[in-house]
Amino acid sequence: MQNPADNQQVLHSGPVVAASLSLLLAFLTLMVSHHISRLTRELDNMVHAYGHWIPGSTGSGPDGSIGSYSGKETLALMVWLGSWLIFHQLWRKQDLSLQVWTRFFVISLVVITLGFFHPLSDPIVLFVAGLFGIH
Amino acid sequence: MQAGEYIHDHFTKIVVRSQVAIAFTLLLLLPAANFFYPTDYGLKAGIHGVSAILAIVIGTYLTHRAIPLIKGMHVRLESLRRWVLFATVLNLAGAISGNWIYMRYRGQDGPRDWILAHVPNFHNVLMEFKEFVSLFPFPLMLAATFTLYYYGMPIQYRRDITRFVGITILVSWSFLLLGFAAGLVLAKLRFV
Repeated sequence: MQNPADNQQVLHSGPVVAASLSLLLAFLTLMVSHHISRLTRELDNMVHAYGHWIPGSTGSGPDGSIGSYSGKETLALMVWLGSWLIFHQLWRKQDLSLQVWTRFFVISLVVITLGFFHPLSDPIVLFVAGLFGIH
Repeated sequence: MQAGEYIHDHFTKIVVRSQVAIAFTLLLLLPAANFFYPTDYGLKAGIHGVSAILAIVIGTYLTHRAIPLIKGMHVRLESLRRWVLFATVLNLAGAISGNWIYMRYRGQDGPRDWILAHVPNFHNVLMEFKEFVSLFPFPLMLAATFTLYYYGMPIQYRRDITRFVGITILVSWSFLLLGFAAGLVLAKLRFV
């Protein structure tokens, strides 16, 4: 029978961190692209352009369309799957501290979630946009 | 008094299972009614509602299975990961059908137009929040599924990894519930 201690050495926590960090980055991409798209019409069109491949991303009338939401989703998908692949390759043989990572992961999720709550996030977004000269 | 493990007898099992079956059927009727609402978008609304309720039910069940994972107890991994995979598929269905019905929500004279004209904050704050947090459960659940299948049975020897998977399931459920409650409020306010 295998000794449990032997097994422990075979497993690496790197892939767990890779899978969860990549989705954090995807949610962050959703948040950033969402706030950018709200600043000006040009920026909205720029974000929207990434989502034109999604059926129902453009159009008007009663049936509507999801508009630039499609671009935000596409950017998030690209960041999610792309970064997951890269981090997984980098860390699949590494053991990273999940104790630290779990805390960071949950706190980051809470912060990103609050970033989607406009009464809280809008003053910050407008301040940052002001630094770039966008009003 | 004896303090041993409580084991359900036959009668208790029948009561519990009947209760679950009745509650589940009635709960499912809530979104299934959408199919018969007087609107051109009953099919889209019905599919989104049914997949959302199913995701909520399975997600809630999984929160109970997540506790032993967090505590580092021995779990039936084969069954657990099949349920988590099932939840992942349901959450994807919820997100895709959500995109589908969101088109009509934003359409001409759709719920968004009405809400902006009458109670704008329900769109500007609640919907703008809901449309994004509702996308969270699927990737979270997929990460949990990936982890359970990637490591396989030896995962039981790594309590830190099972704990992380358990927490991911709980977090996914929290976002699911946030999106679900917000979605219900909006659908109740102005149906498609």
